[in-house]
Amino acid sequence: MKVLVRSVNNGTIIDCAGDVDLYSSPNLREALMKEMRSGTSSVLVNMSEVSYIDSSGIATLVEGLQLSRQTQTRFGLFGLRGNARSVLELARLHKVFALFADEQEALERISSTEPFGGL
Amino acid sequence: MRIVISSDPRLLQVLRAVVTCRAQQAGFAASDAEGLAMAVDEAASNIIRHAYGNRRDATLALEIRTYPDRIEFDLEDSGPKVQPEAVRSRALEDVRPGGLGTFFIKCLMDASSYDESFCGGNRLRLVKYLSRKAGNESPG
Repeated sequence: MKVLVRSVNNGTIIDCAGDVDLYSSPNLREALMKEMRSGTSSVLVNMSEVSYIDSSGIATLVEGLQLSRQTQTRFGLFGLRGNARSVLELARLHKVFALFADEQEALERISSTEPFGGL
Repeated sequence: MRIVISSDPRLLQVLRAVVTCRAQQAGFAASDAEGLAMAVDEAASNIIRHAYGNRRDATLALEIRTYPDRIEFDLEDSGPKVQPEAVRSRALEDVRPGGLGTFFIKCLMDASSYDESFCGGNRLRLVKYLSRKAGNESPG
């Protein structure tokens, strides 16, 4: 799995590519935790090149969501497809995360996204 | 078919590839085969994390058997005996990290059980049946 962090506008995009599993999810977790604590206004995870995600990857995203509430950072995912979307829906988490079709929509709408409750 | 690997998470992708390939050979559609690979991945991940405490120098074995109507996976480890009643998936309403692996296995497989007669560790059996005939499917 490859993780690339870039700054866009006042926020951060984490480009994630490949398989997110027990071996690779710590890399995503490290990037997520670092950016959430960096003072950035938003963190978006680009899932468009994620070919596989398991429960450890989902747990990492949930952890990121929880930390986003603590740090008042807006948090969302975009580009979900195939296995990643199916797994999120299977776990009924697709309504918990802010999901966007693509990067353009995510950047346009993330600033108006309200923090999520219930965590 | 039986393969034995070390308990190194890097090798999970190998397990997934083997399961996907074998399941498709057994007649499962590509999407179903990927689901089976995920179930085996989750079971193997549980072994690495819980039975071996993330040690990478232990081993786990995967045996795959195919039948005309189903495919079976046996995952064996040499960790402490699992108490099956203690292996539970969490409620989905409880949104928190962790606890989803067992839930995914139950969703993706038709049956899962521990062989309590297995000595020296654990043997988890996962079973998936090929799709029922069209006439048995519920409408809509």
